Amino acid sequence: MANLVAVDNKNHINTKVNLKKVEQYGANLHLIPVVLSEFIHLAVQYPIVITKNGNTGQFVFSTMLGFEKNENLFWKNEQWQGLYVPLQIRRQPFFVEAKGGNKNNELAVCLNTNSPALLDNIGEGLFDEKGNESKYFQEVKASLAQLLMGEKENKILLDQLTSMALIQSMSLEISFVNKGTLQLTGLYTIDQEKLASLNNEQVCSLHKTGLLPAIYTMITSLGQIQALINLKNKRLTK
Amino acid sequence: MSNPIKTVVIVGGGIAGWLTAGRLAAKHKGQSVNGLNVVLVESPHIPIVGVGEGTWPTMRSTLLALGISETDFIRECDASFKQGAKFAKWVDGKDDDFYYHPLVIPQGFGKGDIAGHWLAKQHNADTSSFSNDVCYQEALCEQGLAPKTIRTPEYADVANYAYHLDSGKFALFLQKHCTNTLGVKHVLDDVTSINTLENGDIASVLTSEHGEVAGDLFVDCTGFSSLLLGKHYQVPFKSCSDVLFIDTALAVHVPYENENDEIASHTLSTGQEAGWIWDIGLQHRRGVGYVYSSKHSSEEQAKAVLARYVGDTFDSLTVRKIPIVSGYREKFWQNNCVAVGLSAGFLEPLEASALVLVELSAQMISEQLPQSRDIMDIVAKRFNETFLYRWEKIIDFLKLHYILSKRTDNTFWTDNRDPKSIPESLKEAMALWQYRAPADHDFTSRNEVFPAASYQYILYGMGFKSDYSQHVYALDDISFAQYHFAQNKKLIDKAVSLLPKNRELINKVIEFGFNRI
Repeated sequence: MANLVAVDNKNHINTKVNLKKVEQYGANLHLIPVVLSEFIHLAVQYPIVITKNGNTGQFVFSTMLGFEKNENLFWKNEQWQGLYVPLQIRRQPFFVEAKGGNKNNELAVCLNTNSPALLDNIGEGLFDEKGNESKYFQEVKASLAQLLMGEKENKILLDQLTSMALIQSMSLEISFVNKGTLQLTGLYTIDQEKLASLNNEQVCSLHKTGLLPAIYTMITSLGQIQALINLKNKRLTK
Repeated sequence: MSNPIKTVVIVGGGIAGWLTAGRLAAKHKGQSVNGLNVVLVESPHIPIVGVGEGTWPTMRSTLLALGISETDFIRECDASFKQGAKFAKWVDGKDDDFYYHPLVIPQGFGKGDIAGHWLAKQHNADTSSFSNDVCYQEALCEQGLAPKTIRTPEYADVANYAYHLDSGKFALFLQKHCTNTLGVKHVLDDVTSINTLENGDIASVLTSEHGEVAGDLFVDCTGFSSLLLGKHYQVPFKSCSDVLFIDTALAVHVPYENENDEIASHTLSTGQEAGWIWDIGLQHRRGVGYVYSSKHSSEEQAKAVLARYVGDTFDSLTVRKIPIVSGYREKFWQNNCVAVGLSAGFLEPLEASALVLVELSAQMISEQLPQSRDIMDIVAKRFNETFLYRWEKIIDFLKLHYILSKRTDNTFWTDNRDPKSIPESLKEAMALWQYRAPADHDFTSRNEVFPAASYQYILYGMGFKSDYSQHVYALDDISFAQYHFAQNKKLIDKAVSLLPKNRELINKVIEFGFNRI
């Protein structure tokens, strides 16, 4: 269970975060929620897909790291092997919560005190001896800010994609070297035919709101599914 | 073309009226200039009967055809998911007496004689009820689970489902959609008289304040009063009270004790001394009613039965009495007038046949709408043949529930088993099923309403035995049977682990909504 407490330079002056353990948060995740501003970094190595939140049924952007539950093909030898580690992992074990639990209150950066990354009290500190924020903690806060902003941008893009009916479900049947096949369901992506048939006004609106590059990045990133299959095959032949 | 059909006038604005108007306007482009002109005349003084609260899965395709979002429908019509019916105390009336008529067909149905194999394994220790052994849906209902998750797209399912709905809200919802989106013209006025042409066709209906409303086809959705087909054309009513004895309903709305009480995901029908009680869970209340035969119970007795069922809150509730005259018109389409809904006929709500007949009628009228008056009589003839067949088959199926009962506590039940009260067509079918299970070849018309699977659920749910001893070889494919019984068990485990509670899903639909894909 997570136990969230607000971070301050009195209680957490000696707190240290073990970055190796932070990356371990992603060790067993085959889908990780991502935000629009990450797309360009993700697409270099991972497919970006649309999935549905299990609790709300609403669309979310996710990056795909494996083909089944608990499979992250970029996790090897206790290390993240990919070039880019998604924000959702890097920000661990920090969260943003409204102060006092009231939604309208000011936001506070919180720490999950039960996180395994804090166990050994080694690694990066949050504050220097004078109580000033460390470079590491500033980066964490920047990641959290990027995620918060990203949620809004995600929603704008998803609303546009939904209203223009540009999302389609993606059915993948994949055969691996061991002759095993896998039917992937629950994944969605851009409907390229629909995209091509948008009228001028719609294209213009996507362009002006700066959403067009994100849409094409998603489409391009689907090529990484083949790379993912290769990774899986390598693992199977070992 | 001579005598083209350009304007359809629907008289009456309950669910029947608005569904018919909606199907016609959606299919024939009611909102465009060269489309069909659809006008609905509704009296502001006559309340709708609003008897139908249970639907069939067909309602999903009907709503889809009207261009309605499932999320909007659920939010605005107090609707919930229905996965079939549970019949309690219909066989011997004991407390543990129940069976299901689910909406998912038996596992292995159509691939082999699963019902026959189930009968053969009845002496096995691991046998439970027919519906539980061949269908995973009973387990879902018993645990109050929904037929899908919030991730399932609109109108798609994990387990087949229909709806329970608030019929008053549904009529208003349809009205809004028909007038705002589909281009149906709404005239709120009383019809005072009917003007006819020489050939007997209706030329127009006269209204109190809007003058004459003229049309080429008139749809009678005036409810029990059957203003056009019954009163004007005097088409005789064919009673079936000699087959189905129920003639009165006492209905109440029962509020939930707590806002988040579970919502049953099936209709519960509980046998009583002179009829049965329906129990339908909506979002904000339950609809409960006792339908009984006044020949077998006084109103006072009936009220006492209902009060006992509902419990302490009963005294604070308003009891609505609705007379039920079981039967249907000898024809439904006369001249340029066709009746849809209660004006065409009514039966006890045992298998939620009221709304499905409205849907089927509205669908056939819109799909086969004659382009010209000159060919209308041909369509009318086909419509009449189709629906006479459907009414007869529904009556057979409803009667089936009664003839298989073993209850003896009231003459209501024993009278129902009197051969004189059983239609010949049902007797014939029962004669065949003595030796085999109902199969698709028993139901060969394209107008069938209840499929063979439904008959199997009722027959074997109620303990009927088909005797295969003359052809035991028909049941020698043991591996087929074992595979499907095992498969059903797997599906139960899978579905139970995947699906949320019915109430939980309804709450999520209200908060987040379904996606369209």
